[in-house]
Amino acid sequence: MIKITQWIVICLVLCVIGGIAFSQGLSPPSNVTAVDTPNDDGSSVTIKWDAAPADSGISGYQILRRIAGGGLEEIGEMLPAGTTSYVDSTIEKGNAYAYIVRAVSATEATVESEQTAPVKGTGEWFHTGKIPLFFAMLLFAAAIVWNIYYARSGKEIFVRRIPGLEAVDEAIGRATEMGRSILYILGLGGVSLPATIASMTILGQVARRTADYETPLRVPCRDPIVMSVVHEMVKTAYLDEGRPDAYNEENIFYLTSGQFAYAAGVDGMMIREKPAAVFLQGQFYAESLILAETGNSIGAIQIAGTDSEHQLPFLITACDYTLIGEELYAASTYLSGEPMLLGSLRGQDWGKVLIFAVIVLGVVLELSGVNWITTLLQRVS
Amino acid sequence: MRRQVPLILCFAFGIVMILTQFSPHSFSQGIYEEVISWALIISPFMLVLGTVTLIQTHVARIRRRTEHWQYSFIIFAGILLMVVIGIPFGPQHPIFVWLFNNVQVPMDATMFSLLAFFIASAAYRAFRARTFEASLLLVTALIVMMGNVPIGDLFWNTVLSGLPWDNGLSDMKQWILDNPNLSARRGIILGVSLGAISQSIRILLGIERSYLGGGD
Repeated sequence: MIKITQWIVICLVLCVIGGIAFSQGLSPPSNVTAVDTPNDDGSSVTIKWDAAPADSGISGYQILRRIAGGGLEEIGEMLPAGTTSYVDSTIEKGNAYAYIVRAVSATEATVESEQTAPVKGTGEWFHTGKIPLFFAMLLFAAAIVWNIYYARSGKEIFVRRIPGLEAVDEAIGRATEMGRSILYILGLGGVSLPATIASMTILGQVARRTADYETPLRVPCRDPIVMSVVHEMVKTAYLDEGRPDAYNEENIFYLTSGQFAYAAGVDGMMIREKPAAVFLQGQFYAESLILAETGNSIGAIQIAGTDSEHQLPFLITACDYTLIGEELYAASTYLSGEPMLLGSLRGQDWGKVLIFAVIVLGVVLELSGVNWITTLLQRVS
Repeated sequence: MRRQVPLILCFAFGIVMILTQFSPHSFSQGIYEEVISWALIISPFMLVLGTVTLIQTHVARIRRRTEHWQYSFIIFAGILLMVVIGIPFGPQHPIFVWLFNNVQVPMDATMFSLLAFFIASAAYRAFRARTFEASLLLVTALIVMMGNVPIGDLFWNTVLSGLPWDNGLSDMKQWILDNPNLSARRGIILGVSLGAISQSIRILLGIERSYLGGGD
């Protein structure tokens, strides 16, 4: 008769033997390597290992790290089975780290890999993954600069007609004939946004014309910095046209920074003053249609332009003319007619042709089963 | 010289900031973050400039008794009230928060809600089937609208139950959004990006100087 204590001892021995036998079946992670993560600032190390077979019994991995001369420490959470890499972003620069990958079974049996060679995190000066992007940028910049110099040599450059910009003189003329003001809305963007800068440049050209005709030009601003720049710009335009007396500083003013408060303020001005022409140029959000529909309701001729593609349908619906996306950036060069600026437009078109060619080539190659353009673009992104 | 210094600074900082986008090194990223943080310094000046301009504008209106000049007093009352409560007690004071939640927020919401009516009036004009393009727009809009609401597919699956295709309206809506709509949007985005780069190059080279306030 076996006593209870003997049964317990037998069970324990069987468990230990079983555990050892099972853990011996658990293979350690193989080909474990630790390398400095490429194209980073030196703040991480990437550990990689081979995938274990599906029947390996591994239920997860734990990464262990050792600073030179120090003890082992566990880092991060337990990684699920099937993981083959881990990025340690908790390293301190200047220290060398060695790594061990510990495989863990469902019964919590463990087996560890060989320790990797110590590795230090080093920051790279150039992101090699961005080389195609860098060359594309250089190519595009070169095309623009080349065309600017081409235009400087006096050769004529053809620019297609943009109806929205052709209508600028019509809008100013209409306001002058009706004896009403022109309302110029710069959008909600700050001075650092390209759309706001483009809008300010168009405003400069509009101001030159209003200075000639003595048409009041009202500019409610949402950003005080934009307002300061616009003050200088419109004043300079009036001075350049020899009409400093026609410049009224009070027509350019700060309204409010609140999005809908700004919309309410501008709508109020439209309803009270009934401007004959409204320019909506710059970056807009949800207030675009509130402004454009009010302008439409008072019968003003409206010329809009924005790079916010979500607002374009609203502006196209409610305004007489709309500058779509890039046309906003082309507007300043178009209106000024300066050869150097027109040259940059031509360079921009070259860029578009190149992108179009790459898209067509990419589609053709992809349909033919060749996907190196797609792979290249995915790598860049 | 008055123009040259900003142009040189613009060119130098522009080139440095472009290069930081291609260099992940902590030194270049440090420069990038440092320069970006400088922009924050402008914010307090912006606040002062905005407040001073607002006060100047409305003082002039009251002095000249221009049309609706009485409303300028409401501006001053609002500014004064928020300053008197906000500066000594902070923006978390219950009265400050109450004023914000019960005055500012409802007024903003009121303006925003007007958008629904403006969309309706704009859509009415856009969807009048006078030309082939307008008719196409109308049909497309109907499909997208009906595909977005449950009744659309309910109608499709019950009235058109004989068709071997369930939830046709929402499938068509998704196809329209994922293909013609997205293609057009991406085309616009590409053009915008190239336009912005082109403008940036003009600014870096000092050809476009509007941000300096115009003039040569």
